[in-house]
This record gives sequence, structure tokens and C-alpha cells, in this order.
Amino acid sequence: MIASRTGTGRRLAGPLLGLLLLGASARADEALVTAQGANTLAIVDLEAGSVAAQIPIDGAPAGIALSPDRRTAFVTRPEGPGLAVVDLATRTVTGTLALPGGPLGIAVNPKSGAVYVADWYGSRIFVVSPDGAQLDTEIQVGASPSGIAVTPDGATLLVANREGDSVSVVDVAAAREVQKIPVGRHPFGITLDAEGTRAYTANVTSNDVSVIDVPGRHELGRVTTGERPYVVALAGSRGFVTDQYSGTVTVFNLKTLTNVAAIEVGDHPEGIAASRDGRTLTVANWGSNTLSLIDATTLKVTGEIKVPDGPRSFGDFLR
Amino acid sequence: MKFLTLTTVAAFALVSFGAQAHGPTRKKVEETVEINAAPDKVWAVIGNFQDMSWLPPVEKTEGKGGNEVKATRTLTLKGGATVDEELYKYSAEKMSYSYRITKVDVKTLPVNDYSSTLKVEDAGGGKSKVAWDGAFYRGYMNNDPPPELNDEASQKAVRGLYRTGLDALKAKIEKSGS
Repeated sequence: MIASRTGTGRRLAGPLLGLLLLGASARADEALVTAQGANTLAIVDLEAGSVAAQIPIDGAPAGIALSPDRRTAFVTRPEGPGLAVVDLATRTVTGTLALPGGPLGIAVNPKSGAVYVADWYGSRIFVVSPDGAQLDTEIQVGASPSGIAVTPDGATLLVANREGDSVSVVDVAAAREVQKIPVGRHPFGITLDAEGTRAYTANVTSNDVSVIDVPGRHELGRVTTGERPYVVALAGSRGFVTDQYSGTVTVFNLKTLTNVAAIEVGDHPEGIAASRDGRTLTVANWGSNTLSLIDATTLKVTGEIKVPDGPRSFGDFLR
Repeated sequence: MKFLTLTTVAAFALVSFGAQAHGPTRKKVEETVEINAAPDKVWAVIGNFQDMSWLPPVEKTEGKGGNEVKATRTLTLKGGATVDEELYKYSAEKMSYSYRITKVDVKTLPVNDYSSTLKVEDAGGGKSKVAWDGAFYRGYMNNDPPPELNDEASQKAVRGLYRTGLDALKAKIEKSGS
């Protein structure tokens, strides 16, 4: 069972968790699509290929993360500015939290449930209580933090600092940055593998992905992508990168760090994530208001689903 | 001077890209026009990246690299302001190309991180549909923008530019006869 995901939050691995997940895998994946232009969170039934529900969320929703039990979604509202808490069973907004600055990137600690929100206009991460109700503290990182990933043990945050051209390593217990790892130019999304040992960050303006050795805290290598890479997803032995300007998904081999293919998707692809079984990638095409579904093995686009205006799904958006 | 109003001429400090943060909410604009001419005829007018003469505010197009990816062009507008652009996608087969602005004064066009696609589609019956879409951030890169550089102002400017361009294109092609 492959449990690696793009974005943030969910980092399950190991045989026991694999068994638990198998029990749930009869249900089709649901994509939670932050439609920024439409100010809505669209719940997409991936099997039916259609929008099952829309939950209005104002403030230009963009980032998304899920609670450890996958029952609650936390959505950033950069123009709120703040956070919305969504109960996924009742499909209702159960709370909002005002935050300063420009909240965009978001992740949830898989152990403690703490919610981390990156302030795009600042150089800090907000640490929010697991219920999303209260801002507990702030952690200083690099300039314009965007993507956040949390190691499976919940002990370490990795933060892509877009304007800082670096990835911050944050000690969760100490609530402080312990290292800045230089990467390519303008890293945006950051994704950890299931073991939490390698991280992949998409460098928007140098058109490549930096591969980071997490325990060693250094960059291992680079993979060339299309124009304006944004977010990386992992499925099996391959990495999948959305290329905003090229309108493609770059596929690369995780072992050799060499390119495998470039798959044409919609206009301005942004969020990307692998299904629970690792067989399908779901891509949110911001420009064309669609999701593209990609077969992880054949690398073909197998479906396209219409969604409301401006889908971003920046973060952990499948369940 | 602006892309559209063509009033004043001034040398402004140019905004350089990449060194600054942009707001989290990118905007998009799409405008379309139906033209009473076959797609290949329309593409023949707009399909050369090195020729923007069909866009009314443009006085001169200078560039290099033809229609190859990474080709560049500088548009000189009536009055003297310039816009630097780079091609990043081109398909004669799909009758579509995509480019981004690499340098423009926000007083000329109040946008940042602007990318755009021009596309000709077959509308049937010997007609074409031209779609011009853009993705960009507003002219002011941080919170609390001044009114002339806010989201609404940038969308209005881009929409106006596309409308002007597409309507002029239609007039030019339909006037020339087919």
C-alpha cells in the first residue's frame, strides 16, 4: 500500500497502517478542491467524475490540509485573511479563525493534530490548535513561506521559503527553525516521501525540483521540469510535478532523478496528489477549471472533471 | 503611457520580476471574439509572435527567435512605453501560443507575473473563435494595494486590452474580405 501523498500532512506507512487503510479503500477517493475564483470548496467524487457538493468559503480559498483522522479539512483564506474549518461528514464550515498576513500554505501534524499555516507576506509559520480555533504561537522561517510538510513522526516541519530560495527545517518541540537548506529559485510546494527521509520541492523560477536528504539536511540533487513547476506528488517509483506555464506534469524517476515523461494536462496545473492506491494522480488545473486524472503506470490522462472557477488544491486534498 | 488610454508619455522605473513576493490570489481574464473567417486565415494574422501590429496600441514589434520557445519580443507602444515578452509555448497545429511579460511598468499595464495564451478555434461554418486569456497578479505585490494597482484595476486593464485587441482583429480581418 502506497500512502505517500503530495503536499502535506498525510504520511502513513508500514504494514499495520496499510491494513487499516485497505478497509477504507472500497470507498472512492474524494477530491477537496479549493476553487479560489468561485470562493468555494468543491467536494469531487472521483469515481462519478463530478462535483458532489460545494461549500462556500469566502476569502479566496487556496491551501488545504486534513486532520489526522481525515474528517476535518482546514482551508486557508488569503483574502480573509484566515482559516476555515470544514467538517467533511456534514460538509459544513464549523469555524473560522482570523489570521494576520497572507495565510496560504498549510499542513497538519500527523501526531499532534496541530495546524501549521504559512504567512506568505511574512516570514513565519502560525501554529494553530488542532481544532483550528486558536493561534497558539508563531515560528520564524525564511521569506514568503509557502509549502509545508511534516515528517511522519510529527517532529519536524519542512517549509519552502519562496522568496528565500531555501527550505527551513523546524524542530516542532522547540518551535524554532534549526536550519535553512539552500535550494533552487523560488521553491513553492514541498512533499515528503512516506518514510520522511526525502523531500521534494518545486523551484518555480529555476524550473527544477530540489531533492532533499531530510536527515542529512542537504540538497541531494535536481530534476529538470517544465516551466514554472509548482507542486510534486509521489506514486510508486516516480515523482509527478505540475508545470504551471507548460500545462504539463513532469514525470521523473525517484531513484535516478531522471526525466521519464511530460504529460499534457489543463491550463496552469497547480495542486497534484496521488490516490490511496497510488494508481491515479489528480491534478487541479487553475486556468481551465478542471481536474485531470492521470494513470500512474501508463502516464495517460484518463479523465477530466469540470470544477468551479480557479481550482488550486494546494496541499493535502484527497481522502 | 498606458496600453489603452495612450495619454501621457513618461519614463518610469521598471518593475523587475522575481525579486519580490506576490499576493496569493492570481487573477485570470478571458475574452473571446467570433470572426467571420476561416481559422487558418485568422492564424495567419496573429500567429507570428514577432508581429503584434494587429493590436492597436502597438507601434512596433522587435524581437528575436521567431516562433521558437524562448523567443523574445519588445512591443513599443504609441507614445514610447515598452513591454518585453517571451514565448514559452507555440503550436501552429493547435493555432495557439503562450507568452509571458518579462518586463513592464505597472503604469503601462498594472500586472505582475503575467502569462497569456492566444488561441484560434474553429467555430464552424467558416468562422473562427479567438480566445485570449491571461493569468496575472495585481500591480501591487503586497497587502493593501492602492486603487490603481488593486485586483479590480489589473483585471479591468487586461480585459480592456483583450477587448480592444480582439475587436480590432475582427474588424481588420472582416474588412479585408475573405
